[in-house]
Amino acid sequence: MGAFIVLIGLSGFARAGGPASSDASSWREIETKYIFGFTTGSGIGIEGEKEFTTDTIGRFGKRGGRYSATETKYEFEFTPSQFVQIEFGALGSTHDIRNATDLDDRRQVAFSGGFGEFRYLALERTSNNPLSVTLAFEPTVRLVDETSGERVHNYEFETTLNADLELVRNRLFAGFNLLYEPEYTHTLLDETIRETKLGGSAALSFRLAPNVLIGAEVWYLRHYDDFALSAFTGDAVMLGPTLFVRFTPKMFMTAAWNTQVWGREVSSPFSLNLAEFQRNRAKLKFAVEF
Amino acid sequence: MYVLTMSRKLVFATLCTAMLPFSTASAQQATEIQISYSNGQFQPREVRAPADKPVLFRIRNLEGKAMEFESTSLRVEKVVAAKSQGVINVRPLKPGRYEFYDDFNESARGVLVVE
Repeated sequence: MGAFIVLIGLSGFARAGGPASSDASSWREIETKYIFGFTTGSGIGIEGEKEFTTDTIGRFGKRGGRYSATETKYEFEFTPSQFVQIEFGALGSTHDIRNATDLDDRRQVAFSGGFGEFRYLALERTSNNPLSVTLAFEPTVRLVDETSGERVHNYEFETTLNADLELVRNRLFAGFNLLYEPEYTHTLLDETIRETKLGGSAALSFRLAPNVLIGAEVWYLRHYDDFALSAFTGDAVMLGPTLFVRFTPKMFMTAAWNTQVWGREVSSPFSLNLAEFQRNRAKLKFAVEF
Repeated sequence: MYVLTMSRKLVFATLCTAMLPFSTASAQQATEIQISYSNGQFQPREVRAPADKPVLFRIRNLEGKAMEFESTSLRVEKVVAAKSQGVINVRPLKPGRYEFYDDFNESARGVLVVE
């Protein structure tokens, strides 16, 4: 969280470097995809635009001892048409686990897999229609389990609906996501695990300056031990601040911090759900367009 | 000979239908809009086009350095070299105002009004 405050301080640098006008009507329109933190906006970029990004998600805090894990996407993104965006890349992960309940102690850095993403703009925003909606499909293959760091074969198919609304022109935006994320895991012990994450989010992002947006988001996430959403095991609510800073016309960053503020595990007396989710999560993404 | 089953035909037809909007080229006649760029400004700054028809921008850069025609709402960009011309195809548009600008020059702005 301290790092997040430092990032907000750094955003002052971008703010100082941007156009001085406080009249938002004179600001350029903004691409909404990355302005909501973990919530993804509907933007698909500009036809012909290419982007390289590093996108790191850190997860911190499980029941018991110490738990810290990160997964970084090294991602190439391009927009081949005015309706479609395609992304693909490799995954790297780190795990630092000690005395956490139900997890083996581990300290490791690993290449952990690859992913692709296909985004289709289903409804576009115009000056007469503030709502924009994109459908996204993201198949992922992992060789390292996201949570435990064990060697596995994991196949995930994240499906999301990304919507956003321009509430006040060039100033205030609302974002909404719906998530359905089934995954199949085959462990080294020859076990197979089927599970699904289902959820939704709402976010608000305020454009403080032409190149700086701050906001907040809330996620409600449910976990099931099957694909058909019949074996419910627990749920959680994550809440936290978001930040987007455009340093130059071709370079930006986005950051977010979510804390679990409510959660439950089926047949467990504990408050919070630290079995399927984490106490805190953070996101830090840097992108260069070309 | 390979014969498509009914289900494969259905999948093929669905894919073909889904791919239609991916192409910015259209059988419809495009509305051509000519814009010149000089002294760091677009000329004219406001242009008009009919709704639901593709638009073709022809940008003439009269300056001695490159410019980048870009628009977030039109979802297009093109670098136009010094003393040359660039062509940009845009999908059929719904009524509204679509801003464009030179990505290399904060003060160069223009707007396409679709009605």
